[in-house]
Amino acid sequence: MAAMRYSRLLCAAALIGCTGAESRGGNTGGTLAMSTGGDPDVLVPSLLQTTTAAQVVDLVYDRLADIGDSLNVVGDHGFTPRLADRWTWAKDSLSIAFHLNPNAKWHDGQPVRSNDVRFTIASTKDSTLGSPSASVITSIDSVSTPDSATAVYWFHARSPQQFYDAVYQLPIMPEHVWKGIAPAGWRGSEAAKHPIGSGQYRFVRWIPRAAVELTADTANYRGTPKLSRVIWSIAPDFNSALTRFLTGETDLFPQLRPENLREVAKHPELKTQSYRGLAYVFAQFNLRNPADHDRPHPIFGNRELRRALTMATDRAALVRSVFDTLALPALGPTLRVYNTTDPNLQQIPFDLPRARAILDSLGWRVTTSDSMRTRNGRPLRFTMSVPNTSQVRVQLAVLLQEQFRRAGVKMDVEQLDFPVLAEKDRKRTFDATIGQWNTQPSPGAVLGSWGLAGSRAASGNNFGTYENPVFDANVDSALASFDLAARKRYFTTAYQTIIQDAPAIWIAEPRQIVGYHSRLQLGTLRPDAWWIHIPDWSIPRDKRIARDSVPAAPAPAGSTGQKAP
Amino acid sequence: MIRYIARRLAQAAVIVAIVATITFALIHIAPGDPFSAVLDNPNVSETVRQTLRAQYGLDRPIPEQFVRYVGALAHGELGWSFSHDRPVLEVLGSALPNTLLLMVVALVGGFALGIFVALVQVARRGSIADRILGGITLLFFSMPDFWLAILALLALTYWLPIFPVGGAVDPVMHEYMSLGGRLLDRLKHLALPALTLTLLASATVARYQRAALLDVLPADYIRTARLKGLTERQILRRHALRNALLPIITLLGLSFPALLTGAFFIERIFAWPGMGYAVVNAISTRDYPLVVGGSDTSTFLGGIAGDRMERGSNMVTTVPAPS
Repeated sequence: MAAMRYSRLLCAAALIGCTGAESRGGNTGGTLAMSTGGDPDVLVPSLLQTTTAAQVVDLVYDRLADIGDSLNVVGDHGFTPRLADRWTWAKDSLSIAFHLNPNAKWHDGQPVRSNDVRFTIASTKDSTLGSPSASVITSIDSVSTPDSATAVYWFHARSPQQFYDAVYQLPIMPEHVWKGIAPAGWRGSEAAKHPIGSGQYRFVRWIPRAAVELTADTANYRGTPKLSRVIWSIAPDFNSALTRFLTGETDLFPQLRPENLREVAKHPELKTQSYRGLAYVFAQFNLRNPADHDRPHPIFGNRELRRALTMATDRAALVRSVFDTLALPALGPTLRVYNTTDPNLQQIPFDLPRARAILDSLGWRVTTSDSMRTRNGRPLRFTMSVPNTSQVRVQLAVLLQEQFRRAGVKMDVEQLDFPVLAEKDRKRTFDATIGQWNTQPSPGAVLGSWGLAGSRAASGNNFGTYENPVFDANVDSALASFDLAARKRYFTTAYQTIIQDAPAIWIAEPRQIVGYHSRLQLGTLRPDAWWIHIPDWSIPRDKRIARDSVPAAPAPAGSTGQKAP
Repeated sequence: MIRYIARRLAQAAVIVAIVATITFALIHIAPGDPFSAVLDNPNVSETVRQTLRAQYGLDRPIPEQFVRYVGALAHGELGWSFSHDRPVLEVLGSALPNTLLLMVVALVGGFALGIFVALVQVARRGSIADRILGGITLLFFSMPDFWLAILALLALTYWLPIFPVGGAVDPVMHEYMSLGGRLLDRLKHLALPALTLTLLASATVARYQRAALLDVLPADYIRTARLKGLTERQILRRHALRNALLPIITLLGLSFPALLTGAFFIERIFAWPGMGYAVVNAISTRDYPLVVGGSDTSTFLGGIAGDRMERGSNMVTTVPAPS
């Protein structure tokens, strides 16, 4: 309470002209207020699922090393030190010793120790926690701690992505905060609502359905970030969130849609910047009969029919209509940003006459007065399920409906609540659905969503149950390869296989658009986390407004560390 | 009186039990997965989903979940919200004051404005003013609440930036304002959602009130009042209005529970952190405990309040008409 009073006194002083952080010199100070659509789910690195939570956690916590803007996932090339100031590979590459920065401290003043690293990995692997990250650190066997400043990661086997697995997937958590709490109780614990990390921003408050506030950690081992405060202003309604940005209540809105750009352009003080995200959109076919999973789907079980539907789809027109210039037609279950993706992957071309001919040859002929195809009295008709919360996917479904109609295929569009759609996906009781996978810097996640294991697991993530051992084998080989050329070759074969099998129509690789106030000086927007460079963003002094005058909240007693040289 | 209160509380408990049972059954029957958000991440395995279900007790048979829920309810616990990761009581406890504030302001404003408009209309019945006001009230009466809210949001925050866009306070500066500044900040944020609800409520009230006033005007005591030489304004205010208020008081009683969760669109569009938004959002995320807890709370509070207002209106009817 005393700290709060002190902070308010400081602020009062700041608002009448004495600008706290600025008076200490340097180009620090200023407040970044962002519009966001929802609360974070939970502020625990190993449990979070929402983007807002990831943004908060990435600024409050640190990883051992940062992947860097190249997003390389093989070896440690491009990774830069964070909590670990250096690392040493074992000769057999089965272990990596991370040497912790001696100046690194938790926001409560405790030093960051190797025990914290061991605890982070061990707790994430604990099945009673139910961490979504557990499946991505399976290559790590354990972490040992020869001394308080060294954490040694032990791996089951040498692999190209072992360094990436070790440092990218999880920020390090403080053992002294969490060890007394049973894993099953982490989500609801107070510690989850008041996170203590070691990042360049300290947590200040989270008012559900209103705001999350962070303040600069002025004693951080990596130096003081340029912006004093970062605030997420939560507005559940998209239009409200957008209006807050347009009216200047917030400085940044990261979820602009193409149709908003014209409105933003009316405000000379607002700018936009697009960046490549890590998501792709597709229309997925269920290859199994929704009523009897042991049998193939009566329509989509046939590869040639799926190829015909893909041929009947003008993907370029779809993308142009829905995304304008802010997306490219997807290449397959991959992204152009991966250095293993060949941008010249051969696609099934848009060829409506050929699609009609294939459908004819398969016995699906136009016999009815409404120009729709039937075979043995059964119409060529199916349902496309889309979440009613996604305007983009609904638009895509409507346009696809029209394109299929031209080929004589009747498609019904079914708009569903997201939980209902998710259940249909999981139980595989859908005909077709328009989905989107948000992936990671590693292209390896493709196995979970399109591979054999994801199909055969009771409720795996390969909802369409596409299975082709050639695809799996090539992805496995690619992931096991240290040589970039070989890795790319294997992935190309895998992608080419799945593209020709057409378990889905690969629709779009959207670009994301961030709207921001021109007083903000942004850095690079990284595809996996556009917010990761916020500590380097700034607001020039001559462009600061009232809210920029609130200085960083003082650090709690005892938490002052040394700045990095 | 104590016996009366005890009887009413017992009745409310029975109603809450019935509502809880029905809501519990409906929300569990509805298709959907409380942890569907994790499905956007291809790395999340079914094992994780199963662990989450076990952590929240969803792996148990539904009858067992219901028995556990009833047991907790008997001890005054409403369970644990999946989406907020905190007790349902805490979630509702933080939302209820916001909803009550918005509701009271909207009800007071809406009823005052509606009654005033009705009085003006009846005083000038048949005139152009009556018809214009009738047209305006019909417009607001027919207008969807979310549409009016979006229009108000655009008009008064964007085209004419008078009010802040949403929320209960300025999330960026509120903590750093003086006491007076904070109060003003709160009022500024309250203005727009309250104005929207006020306009919507006043339209309904005005139409009811006008009809009720016209019903009582031919009554003998009104004629007597005229014969006594009272002005039309005095007759309307002192005699007609008092007797024509009864259906409006009943309407007030009905509006209270409806507004507790019925102002969802207003709360959502203005990012007002109230009960309606919390509970309806919980339906879409399949946050079972919050849905059932919210229904129980609004049933209990709405029922009690509605009952008190109905009783109030009955007491009014026992008061002899002014001579």
